[in-house]
Parts: sequence; structure tokens; C-alpha cells
Amino acid sequence: MSSGVKPGKYFVQGDEAIAEGAIAAGCRFFAGYPITPCSETSETMARRLPEVGGVCLQMEDELASIHAVGGASVGGLKAMTISSGPGISLKLEGLGWGIKNEIPYVVVDVQRAGPSNGVATRVGQGDFYTIRYGSAGGNSSIIALSPKSTQEAFDLTIECFNLAEIFRCPVFLLADETVGHTRELLLIPEESELKVVKRVKPTVPPEQFLMYPLDTPGVINYPFPNIGEGYGICVSPYTHNSKGYASTAQDMQEKMAKRLVFKVTENLDKLVRVEKQKMEDAEFAVVAYGGNARPAIAAVEMAREQGMKVGFFRPIIVWPFPDGEVLKVAEKVKNILVCELNIDGQLSREVARASKGKAEVYLLGSGGVEPHLPAQIFNEIRRLYP
Amino acid sequence: MSTVGETPNVLHPLVAKYLRKERMPHMACPGCGIGQVVHAVLLAVDELGLTPKDTVWVQGVGCNSRITYSTWVGDNVDAHHGRMFAVATGLKMARPDMNFICFTGDGDCGAIGGNHFIHACRRNLDVTAILFNNGIYGMTGGQVAPTSPLGAVTTTTPYGNIEDPFDMCQMAVAAGASYVARWRSTDFKPLANSIKKGIQTKGLAFIEVLLQCPTNFGRYVLKTSNPQDVLKWIKDHSVSQKEAKKISKEELAGKYLIGEFVYRPERTGIVERYQEFLKKYQKD
Ligand SMILES: Cc1ncc(C[n+]2csc(CCOP(=O)(O)OP(=O)(O)O)c2C)c(N)n1
Ligand code: SF4
Repeated sequence: MSSGVKPGKYFVQGDEAIAEGAIAAGCRFFAGYPITPCSETSETMARRLPEVGGVCLQMEDELASIHAVGGASVGGLKAMTISSGPGISLKLEGLGWGIKNEIPYVVVDVQRAGPSNGVATRVGQGDFYTIRYGSAGGNSSIIALSPKSTQEAFDLTIECFNLAEIFRCPVFLLADETVGHTRELLLIPEESELKVVKRVKPTVPPEQFLMYPLDTPGVINYPFPNIGEGYGICVSPYTHNSKGYASTAQDMQEKMAKRLVFKVTENLDKLVRVEKQKMEDAEFAVVAYGGNARPAIAAVEMAREQGMKVGFFRPIIVWPFPDGEVLKVAEKVKNILVCELNIDGQLSREVARASKGKAEVYLLGSGGVEPHLPAQIFNEIRRLYP
Repeated sequence: MSTVGETPNVLHPLVAKYLRKERMPHMACPGCGIGQVVHAVLLAVDELGLTPKDTVWVQGVGCNSRITYSTWVGDNVDAHHGRMFAVATGLKMARPDMNFICFTGDGDCGAIGGNHFIHACRRNLDVTAILFNNGIYGMTGGQVAPTSPLGAVTTTTPYGNIEDPFDMCQMAVAAGASYVARWRSTDFKPLANSIKKGIQTKGLAFIEVLLQCPTNFGRYVLKTSNPQDVLKWIKDHSVSQKEAKKISKEELAGKYLIGEFVYRPERTGIVERYQEFLKKYQKD
């Protein structure tokens, strides 16, 4: 089967870069349900996947697509689904099944202005907590990466697939309409330059293999056998023991919950990716993520031109939240301005929590539709600058 | 004889061959029809010579899934309530070489998973789906199902069900499944043969079984806890297609037709078509 990598220089949208990244990462199953602003990914997958021997399906809804993706991954294929706000709400049901059974796959959320159908074609950043806490029942951790450009849409999609295999869990690419629809340069390197993680396979005979490592909760790179390989795997929606048999025992629930949370929290060092600009001498920090990082960086440059010591900070892996890195920022500066495309201040609340009172945290929120303007952010910096 | 709670030391040969001993005995209520259906499935599997390496059991959520899940010696995949067909679609497309025997309930398939069911039939997904129709929600304790008879008193229709029931087989026929049949849990041989035929059929085989649920259907709808009374009700409310031709429309009202409704093995489905499609569009 072809690697599907198409090295070269392209002028494409973020949505298309996500599709190319997925194929380069080895994704061979895609199921989706059309929604703006991410239909271009589905359309690209529909054209490209058959070329590389993969399966692309448009399912009857988002519930079906995420469950089909879970099924395909259990069947041995790297798989991905995509949606935006209203569809992500539907996908959350299936996500719980994926998390609980430790099934590797990627879910892309190209955020738009919400709630509900909101403004279908325009940007928003309201799903930050939805993807972290939306899956029923809690007792789980989630990994989410957020690109700011077309190039990152490609690169981070590959990283999402890699982390999904390493951590054996669904991983989110938390994009937004700005990223999805920005058409800009994409460089696809040679296949040999790409780091693609293969699915880990059991090395022990079936009698010795336990599907779920409940007694070693923090372990990663844990194998996932394919169906039909004789391992007799058990996947279900119920709390399970190490073999996957349903259990209602409290200690089993406790073990499973710890496994699902600790495999992420005990490996936090492997899950920190942040971008820092001009932070060395900064007395004021601007924080933003995803597509909204772009006007924020422009505003920081404007402030620097005016002689203000302003730096920029961005979580690239947004979940687990980079508490330690944010605390370092907070210990350095007096004020932090968080710019995000929701009025309720989701990212800013996390920044405030992680800052532990070491800096004042301010929110520049917006209901979405347009990203922030650099001038708007700059004015806010000037107003708050000590 | 074994005592209560102890695993009997003599297992049925089909159980010994295909089910996980440590998962026996299963959890169905005494007198429930689920065991009869599982028996027919095992017979079909055995007669076709299927093995744990080439066959996967897939479930939804409900009594039937609770009893069949993680009992097959091979791989077991249990989906969320209603999502069995969606998960099976991903599984089958990833592994077209394997057999998928899928278990679903009337609530699972007809209510919460209704849309996935219709679309799986439309795609004519090449799996064998067995619908355990007990006319009520068993696992959650006797609530009305989309298959409950008109007038049925259940825990959520204390004044009687005012909605007409679905005919799931007619829906499967209309939506495009390759093979559709309905049996009673007591039609052991025809049921086992039908499952065999279903497994051998390309495209979706949908086999509905009317089964007795003494615990809930019996208790609430028929006011009896005796499985025989429920079986008698099923017998009185079902008629073979041949007999049906001889009786009046009035007599047929509210009765389930038994037998095969459609067999169109020539009809292709998504699995085969995708393989053809790849031959055309795959580049390298
Ligand atoms: C999303 C969701 N909704 C509701 C339930 C609760 N629930 C479990 S089984 C069931 C009904 C199953 O009925 P049916 O498919 O007829 O199977 P039976 O138990 O009668 O065999 C319901 C509503 C659930 N598990 N998940
Ligand atoms: S509740 Fe009904 S369907 Fe469920 S196991 Fe008991 S008798 Fe069978």
C-alpha cells in the first residue's frame, strides 16, 4: 500500500492540509458527515483515500461516523472523523466508547461560532471545554492539539495520529474556521522526513495478553491487537476488567478510571508543546491559541514597536493543559491577556487557574464570527500595560 | 446436578467449543428465549465451520448483548446503545475478509439505532444481523419499545400503548437488505438454517426472532411470569406466510408473519462495491 505522501509545495486550505496530514500519517479510514467549515477535509479525503487503498464513507450522521471510525480502528486501520460544533456534540457519545476502550483514532473539530448552529461559516472557539469534559461520565483524560496555520494543520494531524497510537486513545485536532479556511503555503516533506508511529502489536501469546493494562495505569505504548489475530479481544461500553469483561465492582471502576486518567497525567512531560515569542524580557504576556494566535502575534509586534515589553504564549497541545509552562509565564509577568473567540472565557479560566495568582489574568473575549483584529488586541494591551 | 450459582460441569458441546467457559452460565432470566437464539447461532456457526479467527461477534446494548457479549471465544465488539450497525460498518470495511455476526434488540435497532439500521440496509452491509425482538425494553425493566403491541401496558405506558409497532422486517426489505426473515425462538431448525443462509449471503442478512421475555413482557403486558404463556401468546400472534394467504385480513391484523421475506443474493452491497471501486481508483 502506498504511503500516500505527496512531497511538494502546495497552496491549499488548512482543511485540505488536515486531509493530507492524515493520509501521510497512515490514515486509511475516514467517516464523516458534512458540516461547514470542515467539509473540504471530507471532500479531500473522498478524492484521496481511494487512491491509496483507503476507505472513505459519508455516514448518516456524526454518531455513525465516530462509531464507524472506532470500529475501523478496532479492525486495524488508522482512522479519523471530523466535524464542527453541532456535530461534535453528537460525536461526544461515541468518543466515550473510544476513550473507554482505549481505541486510537483522531477527531478533528474545526470550531465555528456557537452555540448551536451559531454562524455556520464563521470562526469561533467555544469547544475548548466541550472536547475535554463533554464525553459522558468523566473519569478520563483527553489529548488535543491546536494548529494556527495550514502547515501546522498538516504537521499536527500527523502528531495526533502518533499520539493516538502511543497513548492508545482518541486524540483531538482542535482547529477553527480561520485555520480550516486559510489558504497558504504548505510544504509536504519527503516521506523519510516524516515521523509516523506504527500501531504497537502484542509480542506475547494470546493467553498471556491482557487487553487493558489496569494494573499498570501509567503505561503507554501498550499494544492493540487486531481483530482476527487470535487475541480474542473484548471491547464494550461497560466498565471492564483487564480482559475487557464487563464489571460492576467498585474497585474495577476505580482501576479503570485511574488507568484512563493516569496514562495521560503520568506522562505529562511527553505532552507539552508550547510556542513562546519575545518572552525572555516580557512584563506582559498575550495568550491565544489556534487561528486567533495570528492577530495576537501581530498585536505583540505592534506593542514591541511602541517599546512595550510584551511577549506571546500559545499552548499547541491544549489538553492536557500546560499548567507548568503557564505558571512560568505568570511568574515572569505582571499581567496576562488571554484572547479567545468566546465570551465566557474558557482558555482564560484555565490560564487563571494555572497562574496560581502570580499574575493578573484578563480576558479579551468575542462571540466569534471574526477573529480578533491586531489593533483590537493592541488597544487592550495598551490599556492594561502596567 | 449443580447447585445454584455453581457452573455446571457439563457444558453443551457447542458451548464448550465456541463460548468462553469462564463466562458461563449466562445471565438471562429463567425461561428467556435468548439462549435458544444463541443456540441456533452456534449451530449455524458450527455447520458452516466458522472459527474464532474468521468470525467476530458484535453487539448493541440490551439483554441480548449483555448475554452474548464477551462469550464468543474469538473477538467481541459491543457498541453503545443503538450504534451496533455503525460500529459494524467500520469493522467490516476494515476487515472485509471476516464474518460479523451482529446482535441487536428491538429498542436498540428500532428506536435509538433506527437510522443506522435503515442505512446499513441501504448500504447492504455484508454482516449477519440478528434482531432479538421481545416486544419491550428488557434490560431497563419493562418500558415500551417501538415494537410493543398497540394497547400494551408497560412501565412507561401504564394506560396502554397508543402507538403502532414497527415491522422491522418490512423496514429492512424496503431499505434494501439482501436477506430478511422472521422466526420464533421455538422455530429452532428453520432459524438455524436461516442464520446459515444469512451468513452465506452477500449483503445484509436481517433475521428477526420473536422471543419470550417472561420477566418483563410477560409480567407487564400479559400479566404472567410463565414463559409458556408468553410462548403461547407469540404462537397465537404469529402466522406463517403460507397460512396467512388462507385467512382473512381481519384475522391477520396484529399478527407477525413468519418466514423469509426476501432473498436477493445477487444484490451487491457497499463492501463488494468498495473493492471494485478501489480496483478502478487505487493508484499504487
Ligand atoms: C444512550 C443510552 N440510552 C439508554 C440506555 C439504557 N438502555 C439500556 S438497554 C435499553 C433498552 C434495550 O432494549 P432492547 O434493545 O429492546 O433490548 P432488550 O433489553 O429488550 O433485549 C436502554 C434504553 C443506554 N444504555 N444508553
Ligand atoms: S428481561 Fe426478558 S429479555 Fe431480558 S433476560 Fe430477562 S427474560 Fe430475557
